[in-house]
Amino acid sequence: MSCRGYEEQIGDYVDGTMDEAQRAAFESHLAACASCRAAVADFTVLRAASLSLEPQVPSPQVWQRIAAAIDAERKPLLGFGGQRWWRAFAPAAATAVLVAALSWTAALLTPVPSQRLARVPASGAEPISILAEYQLAERHLTNTIEGLERIADTDRSSLDMETADVLKANLTVLDGAIGESREALKKEPENDVAQQSLFEALRNKVALLQDTIALINEMRKGNQEGAARIVSGLNQ
Amino acid sequence: MRAVDLELAQRCRHGDADAFEELYRAHAGRLYNLVFRMAGSADEADDLLQDVFLHAHRKLASFRGDSSLGTWLYRLAVNHCLDFLRGRQAKMTRVTDSLDDEGASEPAAVAPSVPTAVSRIDLERAIARLPDGCRAAFVLHDVEGFEHNEVARLLGVSEGTSKSQVHKARMKLRAMLSGIA
Repeated sequence: MSCRGYEEQIGDYVDGTMDEAQRAAFESHLAACASCRAAVADFTVLRAASLSLEPQVPSPQVWQRIAAAIDAERKPLLGFGGQRWWRAFAPAAATAVLVAALSWTAALLTPVPSQRLARVPASGAEPISILAEYQLAERHLTNTIEGLERIADTDRSSLDMETADVLKANLTVLDGAIGESREALKKEPENDVAQQSLFEALRNKVALLQDTIALINEMRKGNQEGAARIVSGLNQ
Repeated sequence: MRAVDLELAQRCRHGDADAFEELYRAHAGRLYNLVFRMAGSADEADDLLQDVFLHAHRKLASFRGDSSLGTWLYRLAVNHCLDFLRGRQAKMTRVTDSLDDEGASEPAAVAPSVPTAVSRIDLERAIARLPDGCRAAFVLHDVEGFEHNEVARLLGVSEGTSKSQVHKARMKLRAMLSGIA
C-alpha cells in the first residue's frame, strides 16, 4: 500500500478504532515512514488538546434577552415582525398578517396562574372569566384557521398532496381533542383538567399552523431541505 | 430521568418562566460550547444560543421524551448551526454539499511538529479559521467527542465523509499551529 493509502488510516489509528490486524499493519508501516510518524504525533497532540479546551461561557445578557423575548411573546401585541425569532418564517405579505394573528392567539392562550382568575376590565364592567377568555381565543383561532385555509387554497401547488393530507389528518385529530374538551367544559365549566386539555390542544394546533406556514414558505422558496426538516418534525 | 424531562418540558409549555430558566441553566453551557466553535466567533455564538433557546421554546410541544431533553436540545442546536453556516455561505456551495463533494485529503508533507504543549488560545483561534464544513465535523468529533457514525447522523452525511472532513481539519490545524498557513 502506498503512503497515501496509510495516510487515510492515521485518523483511525489516533482515535483507537482499528482492530488488532489493522493496527499491526499500520504500525509496521509507521516504523518505516517518518512522514506518517510525524502526522500521528501531531494528530495525537491535537486530539488531546481539543478534548481539553476551556469551556466557553455565554454572557449573562443572553438569558436576559431570551427572557425578554419570551415575555414579549406572551403579551397580546401584533406586529412581531421586529423580533429576531420570527425571521425563520420570512413571511410573505399575506402570511405576515396571519403569523401576527397566530402570535396574538398563542399569547392569549398562555395559561394564567391560579391567582389571576379574572381579568379586570375598565371600571364599571364585570370581570371577564377565564372561560370567556378561552372562548374568545377559540373564536380568533377559528378565524385564523379560515385565513390559513384560504392561503393554502391559493398556494395549493406549494404543498404536495401527501403532505397536505398529513397536515389535514393532524388538524382533524386536534379538532377532535378540542371538541372533547369543550364538551367536558359544557358539563363542568370549572373543570381544570378539561381547561388544560383544551389549552394544550389549542396550543398544539397553533404550533401546527405555524409549522404549516413555515413549510409553505420553504416550498415557495424551493428549499427542499428546509421543507423536509419541517415535515420530519411534523411526523414526530 | 425521562419523567423529569417530560415534567420540565410540560411546565415550560404551560408558561412556567422559572422552569424555562431552569432548562436554560442546565443546558446553556454545553450548547454554548457547541455553537461557539461551530460559528467561529463569540458574537455569533451569543446570538445563536439565543435563537436556539427561543426556537426550543416554540418547539417544546413536539418533545415526546423519545430522547433526553438535553439530546433533543443538542440536535436542535446542531441543525440551527448548520442552517446558520448555510446562510453565511449562501452564495457558495452549502455546508453539507461541500462536505459530500470534497474528496481526498491534502497531500502529506513532512511539516514541523505541532508544539507538544499547544496553547489553548492558539488552538481556539485555529479552529475558528477552519472552513465551515470541516470545522463542523471536527468540533463534533474531536471537541465534543462524538463517534464518526454519530457525527454523520448529526450532519446528514456518510461516515466516510465525516472521517475525511475530520482528517482535513486536522491537517489544516497542523499546518496553522506549526507556523505554516
